[in-house]
Amino acid sequence: MKRFSFPLVVLALMLAMPALSAFAAEKTLTIGVDQEAIGLDPNIVTAFSSHRRIDLLYNRLVRIDDKLAIVPDLAASWENPDNVTYIFHLRRGVKFHNGREMVADDVAYSLNRVLDPKTASPGRSYLATATSITAMDAYTVKIILSGPLPSLLDGLSSNNLAIVPKEAVEKEGNLQKVAVGTGPFMLKEWLPDNSMTLVRNPNYFEKGLPLLDKVIFRVIPEQASLYAGVKSGELDMATISEGAIVRQAKKDAKVTVMSKPGINLRTFGFNNTRKPFDDIRVRQALALAIDRSEIIAAAEFGMGQATGPLPVSVVEWALPPASLPFAKPDFDKARKLLADAGYPAGFTFKIVTASTYEGGLAVAQVIQNQLSKIGVKAELDVVEWGVYIDRWVKRDFDSMVEIRGGSAEPDRFLYRTLHSTGGVNNFLFKDAEVDKLLDQGRALTKNSERKAVYDKLQTVLTEKAPVIFLYSPMENQVMGKKVSGFKQVGNGSIFYLSTTTVSN
Amino acid sequence: MGRYIIRRLLSLIPVLLGVSIIVFFLVRLIPGSALQMYLGTQVEATAEQMVELQRLFGEDKPVPVLYVEWLGRIMTGDFGHSLRTGRAVLPDILSRLPLSLEITLMALVLALAIGVPLGVLSSLKQRPFTDITIRVTGLLGLSLPQFWLAALMVMAFSGFRGWIPMGNFISLWDDPVKNLRMLFLPSLAIGIGLAAVIMRYTRNSMLEVLQSDYIRTAKAKGLSRRTVIVRHALRNAILPVITVAGFNVGYLLGGAIVIEEVFALPGMGRLALYAIYQRDYPVIQAIVLLIATLFVVVNLITDLIYALVDPRIRLDEKAR
Repeated sequence: MKRFSFPLVVLALMLAMPALSAFAAEKTLTIGVDQEAIGLDPNIVTAFSSHRRIDLLYNRLVRIDDKLAIVPDLAASWENPDNVTYIFHLRRGVKFHNGREMVADDVAYSLNRVLDPKTASPGRSYLATATSITAMDAYTVKIILSGPLPSLLDGLSSNNLAIVPKEAVEKEGNLQKVAVGTGPFMLKEWLPDNSMTLVRNPNYFEKGLPLLDKVIFRVIPEQASLYAGVKSGELDMATISEGAIVRQAKKDAKVTVMSKPGINLRTFGFNNTRKPFDDIRVRQALALAIDRSEIIAAAEFGMGQATGPLPVSVVEWALPPASLPFAKPDFDKARKLLADAGYPAGFTFKIVTASTYEGGLAVAQVIQNQLSKIGVKAELDVVEWGVYIDRWVKRDFDSMVEIRGGSAEPDRFLYRTLHSTGGVNNFLFKDAEVDKLLDQGRALTKNSERKAVYDKLQTVLTEKAPVIFLYSPMENQVMGKKVSGFKQVGNGSIFYLSTTTVSN
Repeated sequence: MGRYIIRRLLSLIPVLLGVSIIVFFLVRLIPGSALQMYLGTQVEATAEQMVELQRLFGEDKPVPVLYVEWLGRIMTGDFGHSLRTGRAVLPDILSRLPLSLEITLMALVLALAIGVPLGVLSSLKQRPFTDITIRVTGLLGLSLPQFWLAALMVMAFSGFRGWIPMGNFISLWDDPVKNLRMLFLPSLAIGIGLAAVIMRYTRNSMLEVLQSDYIRTAKAKGLSRRTVIVRHALRNAILPVITVAGFNVGYLLGGAIVIEEVFALPGMGRLALYAIYQRDYPVIQAIVLLIATLFVVVNLITDLIYALVDPRIRLDEKAR
């Protein structure tokens, strides 16, 4: 055997050293967020900031991928023998962070926990028509509904329906302060209003994932500071909603910006029971005076995409806004409609808005300006966020600028928003034709048949204009150059941090 | 002296009782309840769920009844749990208090360190240029809003690592150097307004004292200029300045609320701010009571310092 010369071995070792040390070094990603999580119990939380931690700590039966399609999560597969029965076959060998295997009993326990009024879960409506959720064996779960609910799978992808272990809930009362999930990362340390450290779950069921050893959340309320943090390298990534800052970041060679229209919708809605908004001609006139592209440019610095009743990013269902009625402003027609309705000189009304992002003050200002062109005077009622919600709950407004949480499934979003019995139909809109179409869409199970119903519905809703759907805001992640592998879902989820890595 | 302190502390009881009533009823008068804030505009809840939620959020009983229950629990030291996070209120507040106190104290020290020398300087230099420069600077310090100054500082310094906290706050005990560096700008942002106030008071007070007879006597005795200014003039002139500084400590603490938010510091102010946003009543109530207590204690300390600096002041009625 030929012997290696000593210097050659040394040289080889020296070459290998940096590679070896890089391999051994911990991969840590630091993400800046503008809000602290308010509790971590997936079945209970409502705060957006809490959901972003739960994305990484827990799993659901199914999840939504980056194309907004429903894919397996804890359920490896499922079948629905009829439109009121769903059978889920679970993955085997999935372990909770406490080491115990996740089985069908846990799924039944978690979903029944959501159904129990005592839990007061915000996710209950996702299971609205469920009558029984039971474990058939260790790896099979059966859900029986009292009536068809085509949005069930979409609902099951919600973090509010994440699977939790019974013993942890019983030990802690609830899971607000701890995290015992099955997710790719485990909670290590939480210093409220400062930072939260998650570490890699070595038993995660997706082999080889996650790629990062550690994810650190840092709470920095100022959007400008978040951007500065990524620029200086103190942060690897930050979620930024302010259009002006995103635009600045896009010109910056030091950072990468990922943008995608989200599934939320910015709306300008009316109290349809108040004069003059009970007259369809008045609503149509206002719809004809609105220029979506101008709103997006002025209020969002271009960081949005015009939309109809369904978020544009849900390509499977959404009709492009240009193909819907009132896509472009037409002031003459608007004035004529107003005159027909008995308001030739226009009228005065109020827009309730708040200075938080959700409250859309900037949007309301642009609308105010646009409506003045047809002689309609909009007064801005700018209120604090708590007052805004109070007015919303009490339906105490002429009109309101809002952000509506859309979904990848048309039934889920439109039924609750615009059916006369809808849970969040605060427009107080009651229309027989719309109700009929919504009920039809819910009763059918084949997407090909449902498509025709929802196409019609989108046109009808735009024409009747109980609410004007304006645009979907972009979801923006600003990242350092060493981050790779991240994908945006579009519903805010940062689940894909599990496939993300950082180079050293 | 001991008696005086006890009497002053006893006066805390009616003050806190009054404050507790005001805050308890006032926070519930603001539109938007804790439950509404929790549900937001996107969540649907059934009637059954609402009953349970109202019970959980303590909205199922009349406010006076809730007040009496709450007061009873507070007497036993139980400040309850946050409606949003479920964490116990008192430990949460106490863990954040040191940071807020540190910023307040640091702001006070900076304000005194800047304000007093400048005030003295401006009273001595009657030349128009120096005097006007200092006075204009003072006016600026007084009129620049803290939050604006803070936001500017964040923008200007965020490129420099370690000067602006980035959700990586380090406590004084863990690393004093890093901690003080991180808190320097926030403290300056709050303290600069008070520095201007202190400067103006010092200047006016010094001008008055410098005119008095005993200063002329001291000068005539042939004492050095330094001794006259520091030992004779400043010692008397500083009294109103102490009062003003003492009064303002409470406002510095209030300023900490805004500054903690801008600089992303995990202090009590930020806790209070979010509690108000979310109508987290138990947290708001506890923080307001704590701040009221601090106000009273700080005023007491100011009076004690007063007596210490000026031996003519006697706090015990008996000694009069």
